[in-house]
Amino acid sequence: MNEQELDEVYGDFCRTLSAVSEAQATPFLARFALLAFHEINDVRRIRALIQEAGPERA
Amino acid sequence: MTTSNPTRPSRAFVPYPFTATRHAARLPGLVGDEETGVHRVLIVGAGPVGLATALGLANHGVASVVLEADDSVCTGSRAICISRRSLEIIDQLGALPAFLNTGLPWLGGRSFYRNDEVLRFQMPHDTAQRLPPMINIQQYYIEQFLLDACKTRRGLIDIRWQSRVSAIQPDAAGASIQVLTPSGEYRCRTQWLIGCDGARSIVRDAAGLKLEGTSYEGRYVIADIALKSERPVERLAWFDPPSNPGSTILMHRQPDDIWRIDYQLRDDEDPEEAVRPDNVIPRIESHLQMMGEREDWSPIWISLYKANALTLNRYRQGRCLLAGDAAHLVPIFGVRGANSGFEDAHNLAWKLALVVSGQAGDALLDTYSEERVKAARENLSAGIKSTEFMSPPNFAFQWMRTAALSLAVKHQWIRSLINPRQTQASAYAGPPQPVLRRAATEFQDGPAPGAALIDLPLMIWDGRNSRAGHLTQLLHPGFTLLYFTHAELPLSLTAPLADWSKRHVPVRIVPLFVKVRSSNAGPSGTDISGNLWRAYDAQVGSAYLIRPDGHVLARWHRATNDDIKHAMEWILHHE
Ligand SMILES: Cc1cc2nc3c(=O)[nH]c(=O)nc-3n(C[C@H](O)[C@H](O)[C@H](O)COP(=O)(O)OP(=O)(O)OC[C@H]3O[C@@H](n4cnc5c(N)ncnc54)[C@H](O)[C@@H]3O)c2cc1C
Repeated sequence: MNEQELDEVYGDFCRTLSAVSEAQATPFLARFALLAFHEINDVRRIRALIQEAGPERA
Repeated sequence: MTTSNPTRPSRAFVPYPFTATRHAARLPGLVGDEETGVHRVLIVGAGPVGLATALGLANHGVASVVLEADDSVCTGSRAICISRRSLEIIDQLGALPAFLNTGLPWLGGRSFYRNDEVLRFQMPHDTAQRLPPMINIQQYYIEQFLLDACKTRRGLIDIRWQSRVSAIQPDAAGASIQVLTPSGEYRCRTQWLIGCDGARSIVRDAAGLKLEGTSYEGRYVIADIALKSERPVERLAWFDPPSNPGSTILMHRQPDDIWRIDYQLRDDEDPEEAVRPDNVIPRIESHLQMMGEREDWSPIWISLYKANALTLNRYRQGRCLLAGDAAHLVPIFGVRGANSGFEDAHNLAWKLALVVSGQAGDALLDTYSEERVKAARENLSAGIKSTEFMSPPNFAFQWMRTAALSLAVKHQWIRSLINPRQTQASAYAGPPQPVLRRAATEFQDGPAPGAALIDLPLMIWDGRNSRAGHLTQLLHPGFTLLYFTHAELPLSLTAPLADWSKRHVPVRIVPLFVKVRSSNAGPSGTDISGNLWRAYDAQVGSAYLIRPDGHVLARWHRATNDDIKHAMEWILHHE
């Protein structure tokens, strides 16, 4: 994925998330995470990503 | 003196260190309330775009009248970032030295999330470039320097201050204009009317055209302050800084020890309340403290900004043409407002000049509209992306931005999302293949038809003397045929080019030699390093035909007289 593609897919994602509405956003993100599990298809990498995403230290 | 007490009472405002000359109103010769004669071109608005259009027309020998409601150049905080492409245009308009003397050049910037640097960006630049990718300069200087250039075109530019256009009746032959001045009211006629009258354009309304697009709700406070600081000139952005948690802050250094500070208001803030000095000053104070700025500072100007992303569908309606903010409103993020306006003016001036003088059909003006509407849509799409990041329109953009910023501290790959996507030169669609009579793949490199020239260093010869210069300095207000050669110019090209010039469409042939000294009597160039030849994928006999606005019209490896004729007929008459 190059910079422009990242840019586009980021924008698409934001717009879809907007349309989903704030109330439905959490289930949407959870479903997206599960679908991504399947695509990544590598337990070690998924575990590392879970760590990485995990709560932001303020 | 330190200013460490955040509860300190409000600071006193100081004026901009610039005094605008006030210009008196002036009435033209009238019969009753009617100006005698018909103007060929009348421009409404002496902002950057109106002045650039008048100067462009003057370059082609076309006189214009400029009607301006105000009595001076603008005040307050408006455009500050002027791009390399704009500077190239300003050079053609004869105003570059003043811009470079006063403006502050810069190459890139840094962005911070909370306490961490998350982006360091550089705009495309190398030592072969003549001009910096961007300069910072206040809009009052922009307008003043263009105005100074107008004064050198006596008899060609008639600026009338304190002259507000109050009514317009367009018709098949031009338009009738009603003008209000403090000395009285009058009517005048023009064959062509150009609306450079900004966001609330009266010309746009008279032409029956409407802006379409999106207006954003997010509000920014825009402040100019007087502050002495030796920080380098760069674009600085802070997301959620400790000085103003939850806010986004932008800073730019301007000439004369002035700094621009923009910050985003929260959705729950009342804009009228937020823009009051006693609310603005503590926020700036706190931020300057966080940055470690110890010098005393004073506010100069505070205003509110709300992003718009709007354009007309067409910039021509009969004999009315629209340019600049009158034609499109782009968000400030990415600095495309005045910069795209300069490109409008530069695209329009030569086309209108050829139409007015009868050398081109008026369909040429439709290409102004097509090319610049397309450019505006590209500018808007980039400007919208910048705005969605700098001023997230809803929870989704806000959440994703926070996620991206927090990951960017560690992850390089995500940082491109934070890049401010600064303005770039527009590229237009070139002529269709049958007109070029060659395969598009003939060249491996170099600016394609429609693209702006790539500026590169070379030796410039004026017949007698030589000096180090750059390619774009060989352009002139007409068409230019850049001809790559080792020796003589072929007579088969020079003779027909002289014919065009007899038809008052100046086409100048400029030979470009590689390594060898020029023997040409007129202007020519020598590419000492061979870099220019390489960048243009040139062979002996390659030719680039350049439009008066510096965009490539067509190119061939072995141009014939017929090739050039086809390309010229296509652009002039759409044949
Ligand atoms: C805070 C801020 C920051 C910005 N920063 C940048 C930047 O960094 N880079 C950039 O490229 N752009 C920037 N812009 C945008 C830039 O200021 C505008 O795009 C630019 O001024 C447009 O020029 P213009 O000549 O089309 O219109 P204007 O500058 O608006 O000029 C229009 C002129 O027409 C006159 N006029 C209007 N109506 C009439 C009438 N009826 N009769 C006679 N005269 C009339 C007005 O008095 C005015 O002088 C910024 C804008 C703002 C608000």
